[in-house]
Amino acid sequence: MGGKKDQTPAERWQETAVREGVLIRQAQEGDQQAFETLLRIHDRHVFTVIGSFVRRKQDVEDLAQDVFLKAYLALRQFRPGAPFAPWLRRITVNTCYDYLRKIRRHAEVTFTDLGESERDVMRSLAEHGYPAIDNQHGDRVAARDLAERILAGLTPKDRLVITLREVHGLEIAEIADALGCTRAAAKVRLWRARRAMQAGLRRLIRQEEETAQREGRNR
Amino acid sequence: MTCREIEQLLKREGGEDRYSTDHGELASHLKSCRRCGEAMRAARLSSVLLGALRNEITPGPHFYPRLHARLADTEIGQMDAILQAWGLAKQLIPALAVGVVLLAVITLSTGGSRPSPPVQAEGETDLHAFSLEEVNLPGAIGRPSRDQMLAFVLAHGTRCDVRGAPCEDESPR
Repeated sequence: MGGKKDQTPAERWQETAVREGVLIRQAQEGDQQAFETLLRIHDRHVFTVIGSFVRRKQDVEDLAQDVFLKAYLALRQFRPGAPFAPWLRRITVNTCYDYLRKIRRHAEVTFTDLGESERDVMRSLAEHGYPAIDNQHGDRVAARDLAERILAGLTPKDRLVITLREVHGLEIAEIADALGCTRAAAKVRLWRARRAMQAGLRRLIRQEEETAQREGRNR
Repeated sequence: MTCREIEQLLKREGGEDRYSTDHGELASHLKSCRRCGEAMRAARLSSVLLGALRNEITPGPHFYPRLHARLADTEIGQMDAILQAWGLAKQLIPALAVGVVLLAVITLSTGGSRPSPPVQAEGETDLHAFSLEEVNLPGAIGRPSRDQMLAFVLAHGTRCDVRGAPCEDESPR
Protein backbone atom coordinates (compact mmCIF):
# COMPACT_ATOMS: atom_id res chain seq x y z
CA MET A 1 0.00 0.00 0.00
CA GLY A 2 2.93 2.25 0.79
CA GLY A 3 4.01 2.07 -2.83
CA LYS A 4 0.65 3.49 -4.01
CA LYS A 5 1.27 6.72 -2.12
CA ASP A 6 4.46 7.31 -4.13
CA GLN A 7 2.66 6.95 -7.49
CA THR A 8 2.75 9.88 -9.88
CA PRO A 9 -0.60 11.11 -11.35
CA ALA A 10 0.35 9.48 -14.68
CA GLU A 11 0.96 6.14 -12.97
CA ARG A 12 -2.30 6.44 -11.06
CA TRP A 13 -4.13 7.27 -14.30
CA GLN A 14 -2.57 4.27 -16.02
CA GLU A 15 -3.53 1.99 -13.16
CA THR A 16 -7.13 3.27 -13.30
CA ALA A 17 -7.24 2.72 -17.06
CA VAL A 18 -5.98 -0.86 -16.66
CA ARG A 19 -8.52 -1.54 -13.91
CA GLU A 20 -11.26 -0.04 -16.05
CA GLY A 21 -10.19 -2.20 -18.99
CA VAL A 22 -10.46 -5.33 -16.85
CA LEU A 23 -13.91 -4.28 -15.60
CA ILE A 24 -15.09 -3.58 -19.17
CA ARG A 25 -13.93 -7.02 -20.32
CA GLN A 26 -15.66 -8.71 -17.39
CA ALA A 27 -18.84 -6.69 -18.02
CA GLN A 28 -18.72 -7.63 -21.70
CA GLU A 29 -18.70 -11.26 -20.63
CA GLY A 30 -21.94 -10.62 -18.69
CA ASP A 31 -20.58 -9.90 -15.20
CA GLN A 32 -23.17 -7.48 -13.77
CA GLN A 33 -21.13 -6.80 -10.65
CA ALA A 34 -18.22 -5.59 -12.78
CA PHE A 35 -20.64 -3.44 -14.78
CA GLU A 36 -21.95 -1.84 -11.58
CA THR A 37 -18.41 -1.14 -10.35
CA LEU A 38 -17.67 0.48 -13.70
CA LEU A 39 -20.79 2.62 -13.47
CA ARG A 40 -20.03 3.69 -9.92
CA ILE A 41 -16.78 5.21 -11.18
CA HIS A 42 -18.68 7.37 -13.69
CA ASP A 43 -22.18 7.81 -12.25
CA ARG A 44 -21.53 11.23 -10.71
CA HIS A 45 -20.72 12.75 -14.10
CA VAL A 46 -23.77 11.14 -15.73
CA PHE A 47 -26.03 12.40 -12.95
CA THR A 48 -24.57 15.92 -13.10
CA VAL A 49 -25.07 16.17 -16.87
CA ILE A 50 -28.66 14.92 -16.65
CA GLY A 51 -29.26 17.11 -13.59
CA SER A 52 -28.56 20.23 -15.63
CA PHE A 53 -31.55 19.43 -17.88
CA VAL A 54 -33.92 17.78 -15.46
CA ARG A 55 -34.69 19.01 -11.97
CA ARG A 56 -36.65 16.34 -10.10
CA LYS A 57 -34.35 13.73 -8.60
CA GLN A 58 -36.71 10.93 -9.57
CA ASP A 59 -36.65 12.08 -13.23
CA VAL A 60 -32.85 12.32 -13.15
CA GLU A 61 -32.67 8.76 -11.83
CA ASP A 62 -35.10 7.54 -14.50
CA LEU A 63 -32.99 9.04 -17.27
CA ALA A 64 -29.79 7.71 -15.68
CA GLN A 65 -31.36 4.23 -15.63
CA ASP A 66 -32.06 4.57 -19.35
CA VAL A 67 -28.46 5.64 -19.96
CA PHE A 68 -27.02 2.70 -18.04
CA LEU A 69 -29.39 0.24 -19.67
CA LYS A 70 -28.41 1.49 -23.14
CA ALA A 71 -24.75 1.25 -22.10
CA TYR A 72 -25.25 -2.33 -20.93
CA LEU A 73 -26.91 -3.34 -24.18
CA ALA A 74 -24.26 -1.62 -26.30
CA LEU A 75 -21.29 -2.74 -24.20
CA ARG A 76 -20.61 -5.79 -26.39
CA GLN A 77 -19.83 -3.43 -29.29
CA PHE A 78 -17.48 -1.32 -27.14
CA ARG A 79 -13.97 -1.40 -28.59
CA PRO A 80 -11.47 -2.65 -25.99
CA GLY A 81 -8.85 -0.06 -25.12
CA ALA A 82 -11.06 2.92 -26.05
CA PRO A 83 -11.78 5.44 -23.28
CA PHE A 84 -15.00 4.62 -21.47
CA ALA A 85 -15.96 8.09 -20.13
CA PRO A 86 -16.51 9.80 -23.54
CA TRP A 87 -18.46 6.76 -24.75
CA LEU A 88 -20.75 6.91 -21.72
CA ARG A 89 -21.03 10.69 -22.09
CA ARG A 90 -22.17 10.24 -25.70
CA ILE A 91 -24.94 7.91 -24.56
CA THR A 92 -25.88 10.36 -21.79
CA VAL A 93 -26.02 13.33 -24.16
CA ASN A 94 -28.10 11.37 -26.70
CA THR A 95 -30.54 10.35 -23.98
CA CYS A 96 -30.83 13.98 -22.82
CA TYR A 97 -31.32 15.06 -26.43
CA ASP A 98 -34.20 12.59 -26.83
CA TYR A 99 -35.69 13.92 -23.59
CA LEU A 100 -35.37 17.57 -24.69
CA ARG A 101 -36.97 16.74 -28.04
CA LYS A 102 -40.00 15.31 -26.27
CA ILE A 103 -40.64 18.35 -24.10
CA ARG A 104 -42.33 21.28 -25.74
CA ARG A 105 -40.34 24.37 -26.70
CA HIS A 106 -41.68 27.60 -25.25
CA ALA A 107 -42.17 30.90 -26.96
CA GLU A 108 -40.03 33.84 -25.91
CA VAL A 109 -40.37 34.90 -22.28
CA THR A 110 -41.52 38.36 -21.26
CA PHE A 111 -40.89 40.06 -17.93
CA THR A 112 -44.59 39.77 -17.01
CA ASP A 113 -44.35 35.95 -17.37
CA LEU A 114 -41.78 35.78 -14.58
CA GLY A 115 -42.70 34.85 -11.05
CA GLU A 116 -41.98 37.20 -8.15
CA SER A 117 -38.88 35.25 -7.07
CA GLU A 118 -37.46 35.31 -10.61
CA ARG A 119 -37.97 39.08 -10.87
CA ASP A 120 -36.35 39.52 -7.47
CA VAL A 121 -33.31 37.49 -8.44
CA MET A 122 -32.92 39.52 -11.63
CA ARG A 123 -33.07 42.79 -9.73
CA SER A 124 -30.83 41.56 -6.96
CA LEU A 125 -28.19 40.32 -9.39
CA ALA A 126 -28.25 43.65 -11.26
CA GLU A 127 -27.89 45.61 -8.03
CA HIS A 128 -24.93 43.57 -6.84
CA GLY A 129 -23.09 43.49 -10.19
CA TYR A 130 -23.96 39.89 -11.12
CA PRO A 131 -22.08 37.90 -8.50
CA ALA A 132 -22.10 34.10 -8.79
CA ILE A 133 -25.17 32.63 -7.14
CA ASP A 134 -24.27 31.38 -3.69
CA ASN A 135 -25.92 28.37 -2.21
CA GLN A 136 -28.77 30.27 -0.64
CA HIS A 137 -31.54 27.93 -1.63
CA GLY A 138 -34.18 30.47 -2.64
CA ASP A 139 -31.87 32.45 -4.94
CA ARG A 140 -30.52 29.36 -6.60
CA VAL A 141 -33.94 27.90 -7.31
CA ALA A 142 -35.20 31.20 -8.73
CA ALA A 143 -32.07 31.58 -10.86
CA ARG A 144 -32.49 28.06 -12.13
CA ASP A 145 -36.15 28.72 -12.92
CA LEU A 146 -35.17 31.77 -14.90
CA ALA A 147 -32.36 29.96 -16.73
CA GLU A 148 -34.69 27.11 -17.66
CA ARG A 149 -37.32 29.54 -18.93
CA ILE A 150 -34.81 31.16 -21.25
CA LEU A 151 -33.28 27.86 -22.37
CA ALA A 152 -36.74 26.43 -23.09
CA GLY A 153 -36.90 28.78 -26.06
CA LEU A 154 -33.77 27.25 -27.68
CA THR A 155 -33.63 24.21 -29.94
CA PRO A 156 -32.67 20.99 -28.12
CA LYS A 157 -29.23 20.90 -29.77
CA ASP A 158 -28.49 24.55 -28.98
CA ARG A 159 -29.56 23.93 -25.41
CA LEU A 160 -27.31 20.90 -25.16
CA VAL A 161 -24.30 22.72 -26.55
CA ILE A 162 -24.57 25.80 -24.32
CA THR A 163 -25.16 23.67 -21.23
CA LEU A 164 -22.27 21.33 -21.93
CA ARG A 165 -19.94 24.28 -22.49
CA GLU A 166 -21.07 26.80 -19.89
CA VAL A 167 -22.25 24.51 -17.12
CA HIS A 168 -19.94 21.52 -17.47
CA GLY A 169 -16.97 23.28 -19.06
CA LEU A 170 -16.52 20.77 -21.88
CA GLU A 171 -14.10 21.63 -24.68
CA ILE A 172 -15.46 22.18 -28.20
CA ALA A 173 -13.86 18.90 -29.33
CA GLU A 174 -15.57 17.04 -26.49
CA ILE A 175 -18.93 18.62 -27.32
CA ALA A 176 -18.50 17.73 -30.99
CA ASP A 177 -17.68 14.15 -30.01
CA ALA A 178 -20.67 13.94 -27.67
CA LEU A 179 -23.05 15.30 -30.31
CA GLY A 180 -21.49 13.44 -33.21
CA CYS A 181 -20.84 16.58 -35.23
CA THR A 182 -17.77 18.49 -36.43
CA ARG A 183 -15.96 21.00 -34.24
CA ALA A 184 -16.99 23.80 -36.58
CA ALA A 185 -20.65 22.81 -36.31
CA ALA A 186 -20.41 22.67 -32.50
CA LYS A 187 -18.76 26.11 -32.46
CA VAL A 188 -21.47 27.61 -34.66
CA ARG A 189 -24.20 26.08 -32.49
CA LEU A 190 -22.57 27.43 -29.34
CA TRP A 191 -22.33 30.91 -30.82
CA ARG A 192 -25.96 30.78 -31.95
CA ALA A 193 -27.18 29.49 -28.58
CA ARG A 194 -25.28 32.20 -26.70
CA ARG A 195 -26.66 34.87 -28.99
CA ALA A 196 -30.22 33.57 -28.57
CA MET A 197 -29.91 33.37 -24.80
CA GLN A 198 -28.42 36.83 -24.51
CA ALA A 199 -31.06 38.28 -26.84
CA GLY A 200 -33.76 36.84 -24.56
CA LEU A 201 -32.06 38.27 -21.48
CA ARG A 202 -31.57 41.69 -23.10
CA ARG A 203 -35.28 41.78 -23.82
CA LEU A 204 -36.03 40.93 -20.19
CA ILE A 205 -33.59 43.55 -18.90
CA ARG A 206 -35.21 46.20 -21.12
CA GLN A 207 -38.69 45.22 -19.99
CA GLU A 208 -37.56 45.26 -16.36
CA GLU A 209 -36.17 48.76 -16.77
CA GLU A 210 -39.37 49.95 -18.42
CA THR A 211 -41.44 48.42 -15.61
CA ALA A 212 -39.21 50.06 -13.00
CA GLN A 213 -39.54 53.43 -14.72
CA ARG A 214 -43.33 53.07 -14.93
CA GLU A 215 -43.56 52.12 -11.26
CA GLY A 216 -41.32 55.08 -10.33
CA ARG A 217 -43.56 57.46 -12.29
CA ASN A 218 -46.70 56.11 -10.64
CA ARG A 219 -45.31 56.61 -7.13
CA MET B 1 -13.50 52.17 -25.39
CA THR B 2 -15.74 51.90 -28.45
CA CYS B 3 -18.94 49.93 -29.04
CA ARG B 4 -17.03 47.69 -31.45
CA GLU B 5 -14.39 46.88 -28.85
CA ILE B 6 -17.09 45.92 -26.36
CA GLU B 7 -18.78 43.78 -28.99
CA GLN B 8 -15.44 42.03 -29.60
CA LEU B 9 -14.97 41.61 -25.87
CA LEU B 10 -18.35 39.95 -25.50
CA LYS B 11 -17.72 37.66 -28.43
CA ARG B 12 -14.70 36.24 -26.65
CA GLU B 13 -15.55 33.40 -24.35
CA GLY B 14 -15.91 34.67 -20.77
CA GLY B 15 -15.03 38.15 -22.01
CA GLU B 16 -17.73 39.66 -19.85
CA ASP B 17 -16.01 38.31 -16.73
CA ARG B 18 -12.50 39.21 -17.79
CA TYR B 19 -13.08 42.95 -17.37
CA SER B 20 -14.50 44.34 -14.19
CA THR B 21 -17.04 47.11 -14.68
CA ASP B 22 -14.79 49.11 -12.35
CA HIS B 23 -12.32 49.18 -15.24
CA GLY B 24 -12.28 52.93 -15.97
CA GLU B 25 -12.76 53.07 -19.75
CA LEU B 26 -15.26 50.24 -19.82
CA ALA B 27 -17.33 51.67 -16.98
CA SER B 28 -17.54 55.09 -18.57
CA HIS B 29 -18.58 53.61 -21.93
CA LEU B 30 -21.21 51.39 -20.34
CA LYS B 31 -22.67 54.39 -18.52
CA SER B 32 -22.93 56.46 -21.65
CA CYS B 33 -24.01 53.71 -24.12
CA ARG B 34 -27.32 52.08 -23.28
CA ARG B 35 -26.97 49.35 -25.92
CA CYS B 36 -23.56 48.20 -24.72
CA GLY B 37 -24.66 48.42 -21.09
CA GLU B 38 -27.60 46.17 -21.86
CA ALA B 39 -25.42 43.69 -23.80
CA MET B 40 -22.90 43.51 -20.96
CA ARG B 41 -25.60 42.97 -18.35
CA ALA B 42 -27.22 40.24 -20.47
CA ALA B 43 -23.86 38.48 -20.89
CA ARG B 44 -23.16 38.59 -17.16
CA LEU B 45 -26.69 37.50 -16.27
CA SER B 46 -26.44 34.63 -18.74
CA SER B 47 -23.20 33.40 -17.20
CA VAL B 48 -24.62 33.60 -13.65
CA LEU B 49 -27.89 31.88 -14.52
CA LEU B 50 -26.17 29.05 -16.37
CA GLY B 51 -23.97 28.55 -13.31
CA ALA B 52 -27.15 27.92 -11.29
CA LEU B 53 -27.95 24.93 -13.50
CA ARG B 54 -25.09 22.94 -12.06
CA ASN B 55 -26.80 20.38 -9.96
CA GLU B 56 -24.82 17.81 -7.99
CA ILE B 57 -26.99 14.74 -7.67
CA THR B 58 -25.85 11.37 -6.45
CA PRO B 59 -27.73 8.11 -6.97
CA GLY B 60 -30.22 7.27 -4.25
CA PRO B 61 -30.01 4.01 -2.24
CA HIS B 62 -32.53 2.25 -4.50
CA PHE B 63 -30.89 3.23 -7.75
CA TYR B 64 -28.55 0.27 -8.25
CA PRO B 65 -30.96 -2.44 -6.99
CA ARG B 66 -33.54 -1.06 -9.45
CA LEU B 67 -30.95 -1.06 -12.23
CA HIS B 68 -30.05 -4.68 -11.47
CA ALA B 69 -33.71 -5.64 -11.68
CA ARG B 70 -34.05 -3.89 -15.04
CA LEU B 71 -30.87 -5.52 -16.35
CA ALA B 72 -32.19 -8.91 -15.31
CA ASP B 73 -35.50 -8.13 -17.06
CA THR B 74 -33.58 -7.13 -20.17
CA GLU B 75 -31.58 -10.36 -20.13
CA ILE B 76 -34.77 -12.38 -19.65
CA GLY B 77 -36.33 -10.35 -22.45
CA GLN B 78 -33.37 -11.11 -24.73
CA MET B 79 -33.53 -14.81 -23.85
CA ASP B 80 -37.28 -14.76 -24.48
CA ALA B 81 -36.71 -13.23 -27.90
CA ILE B 82 -34.15 -15.94 -28.75
CA LEU B 83 -36.46 -18.70 -27.48
CA GLN B 84 -39.39 -17.20 -29.36
CA ALA B 85 -37.35 -17.14 -32.56
CA TRP B 86 -36.28 -20.75 -31.92
CA GLY B 87 -39.91 -21.76 -31.26
CA LEU B 88 -40.97 -20.17 -34.54
CA ALA B 89 -38.14 -21.94 -36.33
CA LYS B 90 -39.19 -25.24 -34.69
CA GLN B 91 -42.71 -24.75 -36.03
CA LEU B 92 -41.37 -24.08 -39.49
CA ILE B 93 -39.00 -27.06 -39.61
CA PRO B 94 -41.71 -29.75 -40.32
CA ALA B 95 -43.27 -27.56 -43.01
CA LEU B 96 -39.86 -27.03 -44.62
CA ALA B 97 -39.09 -30.78 -44.41
CA VAL B 98 -42.41 -31.64 -46.08
CA GLY B 99 -41.64 -29.11 -48.81
CA VAL B 100 -38.21 -30.65 -49.46
CA VAL B 101 -39.65 -34.18 -49.59
CA LEU B 102 -42.41 -33.09 -51.99
CA LEU B 103 -39.88 -31.42 -54.24
CA ALA B 104 -37.74 -34.56 -54.26
CA VAL B 105 -40.76 -36.76 -55.08
CA ILE B 106 -41.83 -34.49 -57.94
CA THR B 107 -38.30 -34.43 -59.35
CA LEU B 108 -37.96 -38.21 -59.20
CA SER B 109 -41.44 -38.89 -60.59
CA THR B 110 -40.79 -36.75 -63.65
CA GLY B 111 -37.64 -38.74 -64.34
CA GLY B 112 -35.12 -36.01 -63.81
CA SER B 113 -33.36 -34.61 -66.88
CA ARG B 114 -34.26 -37.06 -69.66
CA PRO B 115 -33.36 -36.29 -73.26
CA SER B 116 -36.14 -34.33 -74.93
CA PRO B 117 -38.37 -36.18 -77.45
CA PRO B 118 -37.71 -35.76 -81.15
CA VAL B 119 -39.61 -33.03 -82.94
CA GLN B 120 -41.24 -33.72 -86.31
CA ALA B 121 -39.86 -31.19 -88.76
CA GLU B 122 -40.66 -30.42 -92.36
CA GLY B 123 -39.22 -32.81 -94.98
CA GLU B 124 -39.87 -35.69 -92.63
CA THR B 125 -36.75 -34.94 -90.73
CA ASP B 126 -36.65 -35.64 -87.03
CA LEU B 127 -34.79 -32.92 -85.25
CA HIS B 128 -33.76 -33.48 -81.70
CA ALA B 129 -34.11 -30.64 -79.27
CA PHE B 130 -30.63 -31.25 -77.97
CA SER B 131 -29.61 -30.59 -74.43
CA LEU B 132 -26.46 -28.53 -73.86
CA GLU B 133 -24.55 -31.59 -72.68
CA GLU B 134 -25.40 -33.37 -75.92
CA VAL B 135 -24.26 -30.49 -78.10
CA ASN B 136 -20.90 -30.25 -76.34
CA LEU B 137 -19.37 -28.26 -79.17
CA PRO B 138 -15.64 -28.66 -79.53
CA GLY B 139 -13.82 -25.48 -78.58
CA ALA B 140 -17.01 -23.73 -77.28
CA ILE B 141 -16.61 -22.32 -73.80
CA GLY B 142 -19.78 -21.79 -71.83
CA ARG B 143 -23.23 -21.70 -73.35
CA PRO B 144 -23.11 -22.06 -77.20
CA SER B 145 -24.68 -19.30 -79.27
CA ARG B 146 -27.97 -19.77 -81.12
CA ASP B 147 -26.14 -19.93 -84.47
CA GLN B 148 -23.75 -22.59 -83.17
CA MET B 149 -26.71 -24.65 -81.90
CA LEU B 150 -28.52 -24.30 -85.23
CA ALA B 151 -25.42 -25.29 -87.16
CA PHE B 152 -25.01 -28.33 -84.92
CA VAL B 153 -28.67 -29.38 -85.29
CA LEU B 154 -28.62 -28.98 -89.05
CA ALA B 155 -25.37 -30.92 -89.34
CA HIS B 156 -26.70 -33.78 -87.23
CA GLY B 157 -30.10 -33.70 -88.96
CA THR B 158 -28.68 -34.04 -92.50
CA ARG B 159 -26.18 -36.65 -91.46
CA CYS B 160 -28.17 -38.93 -89.13
CA ASP B 161 -31.83 -38.19 -88.73
CA VAL B 162 -33.30 -38.11 -92.25
CA ARG B 163 -35.88 -40.90 -92.18
CA GLY B 164 -34.99 -43.86 -94.35
CA ALA B 165 -31.53 -42.63 -95.23
CA PRO B 166 -28.65 -44.36 -93.51
CA CYS B 167 -26.41 -42.27 -91.34
CA GLU B 168 -23.11 -41.32 -92.92
CA ASP B 169 -21.25 -43.19 -90.21
CA GLU B 170 -23.54 -46.23 -90.50
CA SER B 171 -23.53 -46.46 -94.34
CA PRO B 172 -21.80 -49.54 -95.77
CA ARG B 173 -18.46 -48.74 -97.15
